[in-house]
Amino acid sequence: MSGRAGSAAPAQNGGPAAAPERSPSLTQGYDLACKVMLLGDSGVGKTCFLLQFKDGAFLSGTFIATVGIDFRNKVVTVDGVKVKLQIWDTAGQERFRSVTHAYYRDAQALLLFYDITSKISFDNIRAWLTEIHEYAQKDVVIMLLGNKADVSSGRVIKMEDGESLAREYGVPFMETSAKTGMNVELAFLAIAKELKQRAVQQPDEPRFQIQEYIESQKKKSSCCSFM
Amino acid sequence: MFVHTRSYEDLMSPEDGDVVSRSPEEGRGDQGDQTSMEQISKDFSELSTQLTGMALDLEEEMRPSQEDKMDLSLQTARRDSARSEKEDEDVTMEAWRMHQKHVFVLSEAGKPVYSRYGSEEALSSTMGVMMALVSFLEAEKNAIRSIHADGYKVVFVRRSPLVLVAMARTRQSEQEITHELLYIYYQILSLLTWTQLNHIFQQKQNYDLRRLLAGSERITDNLLDLMARDPSFLMGAARCLPMTAGLRDTVSTCLQQAKAKSLVFSILLSRNQLVSLVRKKDQFLHPIDLHLLFNLISSSSSFREGEAWTPICLPKFNSSGFFHAHISYLEQDMDLCLLLVSTNREDFFTVSDCKRRFQERLRKRGVSHALQEALRTPFYSVSQVGIPDLRHFIYKSKSSGLFTSPEIEAPMSSEEEKQRLLELYQYLHSRAHNSSRPLKNIYFTGPSENLLAWVTSAFELYVCYSPLGTKAAAVSAVNKLMKWIRREEDRLFILTPQTY
Repeated sequence: MSGRAGSAAPAQNGGPAAAPERSPSLTQGYDLACKVMLLGDSGVGKTCFLLQFKDGAFLSGTFIATVGIDFRNKVVTVDGVKVKLQIWDTAGQERFRSVTHAYYRDAQALLLFYDITSKISFDNIRAWLTEIHEYAQKDVVIMLLGNKADVSSGRVIKMEDGESLAREYGVPFMETSAKTGMNVELAFLAIAKELKQRAVQQPDEPRFQIQEYIESQKKKSSCCSFM
Repeated sequence: MFVHTRSYEDLMSPEDGDVVSRSPEEGRGDQGDQTSMEQISKDFSELSTQLTGMALDLEEEMRPSQEDKMDLSLQTARRDSARSEKEDEDVTMEAWRMHQKHVFVLSEAGKPVYSRYGSEEALSSTMGVMMALVSFLEAEKNAIRSIHADGYKVVFVRRSPLVLVAMARTRQSEQEITHELLYIYYQILSLLTWTQLNHIFQQKQNYDLRRLLAGSERITDNLLDLMARDPSFLMGAARCLPMTAGLRDTVSTCLQQAKAKSLVFSILLSRNQLVSLVRKKDQFLHPIDLHLLFNLISSSSSFREGEAWTPICLPKFNSSGFFHAHISYLEQDMDLCLLLVSTNREDFFTVSDCKRRFQERLRKRGVSHALQEALRTPFYSVSQVGIPDLRHFIYKSKSSGLFTSPEIEAPMSSEEEKQRLLELYQYLHSRAHNSSRPLKNIYFTGPSENLLAWVTSAFELYVCYSPLGTKAAAVSAVNKLMKWIRREEDRLFILTPQTY
């Protein structure tokens, strides 16, 4: 049985999500597999964010609504460990909620998006977090992302608003741009690092601080305005 | 393979099926059988003149509307930007009026649900008028079916809690427009299920259904565009990708072996053509449901990468529940899409594994290359039949729910000519299936082509000849054509449907 099929077991049994799964690097091409879910309102840029990370390309022009959920893999290397990210890109529309709920509990990490040019998408973050607490694992890694940071004229949500909301819920936060690529890779790498750390952590080793890590690495939108 | 059905009649619910009101225009056809050929001939020459005017209208349609986009609310701005061009279209402009066919969906409270052109908000008063018309006649214990005026047909379909309205300048019969509206209704059901749709409106009569349908406008738009150019919908049947029987059997066996408990249908398709279909024993896929699946896949490029998992209701199979469809392309640069329909929402990984197993088997059997070869020639040339005057044909086998037709070649290969040919077929089809006066044989001699239609209990055949041939030659050519189809049928159709 392949590594991926093996990881399906908890989903079928409805049991708790397993800790990031370790598997021999030789046969699978990775050391560790973990499930990451992209969440947020329709049109905040989840799919574009993923495409930027996977292919380094930005899909401009037409908006294509994701149908249901879309499943893709990407292997990243953190500190010499190959982590296979199984990424669930979800449709933001209300009618797909029931399907996405069904896959929440398998996720080890959630990237929660709003669009800095849309107040509604920001206001809905609280509702998303309530849903997450209801359906996801207790120890799930959550990261709040304010996307479309490259847009300066249409901004309606200040960076501080995002920061204070993130502080309130105790989740790491940064602004991103799927268009310029700002902080896109960092978001996934930070998640991969955190999950890798959880999987291989030695008792005496200090805990990886995802918050501090992204604070030290992230770029502010101001320094990217020339891009 | 599919459920045995007379799908056209099937689409007509009992309430619509008993009487189809005849328009004053069509009333002219009522002069008895002996004059019917003359009548067809007359109708066709009218059709030709009507069609010459079309290119102009199209140009007008293409012209972007020059309206100012400032008053878009925040919410509309956030909506599907691919539709924004349509949404921005000024509904008071002449260009908006000039569209060949408008389609509107509204709730019984008169709230807009969908409009093919222009934003629903801008059309809310128009939709109010439509609802008023429907209610006015209902108050008299009557029902409005259609209005015929000034070259337009306004067709109403009532499927509580929704009302669907089409406003068409095409030459389609009322019956065919009704058929298209029902497809739109089924499309909406495929997203929501009948049960959920009814439940919502029972809870709240003035619910704004666009909230739940957000993001699906493109799918409905695509369905309307597809119906205007793909004869599958007119025929109520699916077309198969031509390939040798041996290759198809191998692919089907691979597909059949990659099964899982929760799988109901495994479908392999290439650009709206069926490659293989495996189904659970005793479960049949209705052509309408298959068309909705085809439409879903062709309406979004987001399936090209990764694996999608989405709830979908197949309304003809069961309108009260969702299936879950796993959609993926086999290779990125290959137009081969695999659709696995499962009953279990939680079964993504199991179904995903079926895909992996299917691909593995294909590789082991070494058919990938042959499959690629078949994909390279998705259509065959009509010249293969060896009838000089034959230009094009559609042959539908009623028992299998499948049809075949060659590539449309010169002199009909331009988009306008293809459109015209489809309209000619639509016309023949509507004459043959007119519920008050069905015809079995139709032969028509026109200025640019001769046409023949032949409808029996087993098949339907529509043939287009060059205008130079004779009726006798056309009839004898039909025999030759039928022999050719019989000889090629294992390449053109799926003869041995597989079950798990």
